[in-house]
Amino acid sequence: MHIPDGYLDMPIAVLFYLLSAAVVGYSVYRVRGTLDEKKIPLVGMVAAGIFAAQMLNWPIPGGTSAHLVGGAIAAILLGPYLGCLAMTSVLVIQCLLFGDGGITALGANVWNMAVVNVFVAHYLYVFLRDKGLHLASFVSGWLGITAAAIFAGIEVGLSSSFKYSIGVTVPTMGIWHGLLGLLEGVITAAVILYIAKNRPDILNEEVSGE
Amino acid sequence: MNIQEVFCSRKALTVILVLIALSPLFAYAAEAVNYSEPLENTAEEVGAEEHPVYSGVLPDYTVPGLDPYVGTLIAGLVGTFITLFLAYALSWFMAAKKGK
Repeated sequence: MHIPDGYLDMPIAVLFYLLSAAVVGYSVYRVRGTLDEKKIPLVGMVAAGIFAAQMLNWPIPGGTSAHLVGGAIAAILLGPYLGCLAMTSVLVIQCLLFGDGGITALGANVWNMAVVNVFVAHYLYVFLRDKGLHLASFVSGWLGITAAAIFAGIEVGLSSSFKYSIGVTVPTMGIWHGLLGLLEGVITAAVILYIAKNRPDILNEEVSGE
Repeated sequence: MNIQEVFCSRKALTVILVLIALSPLFAYAAEAVNYSEPLENTAEEVGAEEHPVYSGVLPDYTVPGLDPYVGTLIAGLVGTFITLFLAYALSWFMAAKKGK
């Protein structure tokens, strides 16, 4: 899902840098001053855990694989604004230190995985929470990443290197990540249910900025 | 500060260390099944190519000159703790202002 250099046309890359900067900036504005100091270790651990989990590429035979993205886990545990900032930290480190995701595509990658994934996951979770934690966290993990993939499809599909084939890129990305996203949903639900059972204090705290 | 306060819980830290320890194994398995993501497959379908502008300090989670699996393990440790530090610093900066 990390878009490398060379896939995006410059105007698209710039547009998504600007959009991401606006949401990340707004998230800092929303969180700043409202963040309980006791939550600092949680933010660090969620970001670190997502970084480590993203390194594990699931070995799915058949030529199409993926790894966890974790936007829903960040959204549910930290709330949308702090979740967005945690995901942004992960993506910036991946890009600058490991060349994972192109430096010209960082804006688009932040938009897909730290903004779209996190906020879609958050709203789905809030919407479905009354129907049960299993369902809410599963759907939030599954459709959050699918939405991110659709955006990646839009961005590359509007670029010349992909021959403006948005009619191919969006369905391909959406369908594949919609399927692989079921695994993301299962892992998200497992993590959230485990935390709900063992550390309910983390989930029951008021989500910052909500 | 004790370990409990810094890392949330001993268990969370253990889980993260286990994930890092597993990374060379997953790297091996991914290679064995010809790991490629939908985005790469889509690019191939329409003939799009990567044009790397910048490859990072530890390109593709390896340490130049080291065995790739050892490199992955080191990259995982370094990356995880830098991410931890960055997220910590960022949230400390955001909590400190009006909070007290």
